[in-house]
Amino acid sequence: MLRRAAPLLVCLGLLVVWQLASLVLKSDSFPTALEAIRAIPVVLGDKDSLVNFAASLRRMAIGFAVGVAISIPLGLSMGRSRAVASLFNPLLMVIYPVPKAALMPIIMLWLGVGDISKTLVIFLGVSLPVIYHSFEGARAVEEKMLWSGAAMGLSSTQRLVRIVLPAALPEILTGCRTGLVLALITMITSEMIARQSGAGNILFNALDMGQYDTVFAMIIIVGAMGIVLDALFERLRARLVRWSEPQFDIPLSFS
Amino acid sequence: MIEIDGVSQVFQTSARQDHLALSNISLTIEDGAFVSILGPSGCGKSTLLYIVGGFVRPTAGVASMKGRAITGPGPDRGPVFQEFALFPWKSVLGNVMYGPRQQGIKRPDAEAQSRALIEMVGLKGFEDFYPKELSGGMKQRVALARTLAYHPEVLLMDEPFGALDAHTRTRLQNDLLNIWERDRKTVLFVTHSVEEAVFLSDKVVMMTRSPGRVREIIDIDLPRPRHRTELLLDPRYQKYIVEIERMFDDSGDDELR
Ligand SMILES: Nc1ncnc2c1ncn2[C@@H]1O[C@H](COP(=O)(O)OP(=O)(O)O)[C@@H](O)[C@H]1O
Ligand SMILES: [Mg+2]
Repeated sequence: MLRRAAPLLVCLGLLVVWQLASLVLKSDSFPTALEAIRAIPVVLGDKDSLVNFAASLRRMAIGFAVGVAISIPLGLSMGRSRAVASLFNPLLMVIYPVPKAALMPIIMLWLGVGDISKTLVIFLGVSLPVIYHSFEGARAVEEKMLWSGAAMGLSSTQRLVRIVLPAALPEILTGCRTGLVLALITMITSEMIARQSGAGNILFNALDMGQYDTVFAMIIIVGAMGIVLDALFERLRARLVRWSEPQFDIPLSFS
Repeated sequence: MIEIDGVSQVFQTSARQDHLALSNISLTIEDGAFVSILGPSGCGKSTLLYIVGGFVRPTAGVASMKGRAITGPGPDRGPVFQEFALFPWKSVLGNVMYGPRQQGIKRPDAEAQSRALIEMVGLKGFEDFYPKELSGGMKQRVALARTLAYHPEVLLMDEPFGALDAHTRTRLQNDLLNIWERDRKTVLFVTHSVEEAVFLSDKVVMMTRSPGRVREIIDIDLPRPRHRTELLLDPRYQKYIVEIERMFDDSGDDELR
């Protein structure tokens, strides 16, 4: 009971601290919590901003889906084949430490400020953790399990799909969860840079125009979106890998 | 019939040195025989079994089955590993059904056969359990049922009971013998326990310390079906054990040179 209510209590506590701090500071650029909350229905009720949100979510969904669809097979193959790993490893080593948003200007230069650029940045943000975790998951698959499959007559492709994939699933989904949060982050940053549509665009336009209650309302909305998406994904994940969970009782709600 | 002819195995260690694990092994295993490979840890027993399974290619020599060289794994040779190697995302039933389904047997038939096998290995009622919910002995029963399910002609068992407590081990040995008496599959059974080898086998292949060679092949001429309590009182059984135990003690001291 207390455990389920805990996140809500944390949110409530933060809002109270915010309210008190803003009352004390009395700054124009720091609206009170109540003012920000009152601005939420205004933002969500505006048709224009709903269109922007829909565009953001669509890009995020596409970037995430394509990222996962490419990264899982790639990561698994890298984990099981030295040749594939040494082919892609150098590329990933270079891409990995570069902040994906920093690539945005170049991508914009080539592909414009539209959907493609932003979706590509989201895709890049999602891919690396998913590749990495799929790779580690595939590498850790017990060899005797693959041998057992081979003795039953599974071909090497069948073993990859029907043994390596399910065996590595817990690790893969951990990567996907990180990827989902990164998708949200890269979604907003890409829209900050290519200011043309989306939730990040609303946020920074409001900032430019000094509509601070809208700015903070947007922060709350985007934050809530992240929390809800992550919680939903975590439920899906827990359901898919129930067979692997140790009877371990501290649900970590972040990772 | 399985023939192992002049098989040697060299491994490359991480330090880039050659390590001779098996040296010129020749051995014939008759159809329907229960043969144990006995030897100290590290003498290459597992490696030899993997070569027969087709999981490892020998550096020299040939292993063949029914006159055909073994080039890879196949459903005619079913392994049972010490590590169980069950599919953790499948239930007990799912694990056992995996092989038959792979061989194209229809789900209802595969399921019926698998349920019967699960009952035979004493796990009725656990069909829907996941491997993580089973004890070591239960996991090894599932692993055995999973392999039996696709009807291999030969069972390749690598210290299958090595990780189990003494009591569970004894029970599984009895159950394995009962199953074997029923359909007389060829069994190649790796162990480092002299008692286990003598109790189960028609033939014990004694190996030397690393690099593994065949040191002695002992035919175990004891009546079947075997019952542990009767055998323990049987002087012939005791003699086999003592004899092999002695050999084990000085296992290859003069052959290390
Ligand atoms: N993949 C491998 N790479 C290098 N050395 C190995 C490998 N597998 C086994 N060996 C070595 O070969 C020897 C025999 O191993 P193994 O067959 O597992 O022995 P046993 O099963 O009798 O204990 C050991 O010295 C072991 O270290
Ligand atoms: Mg071994």
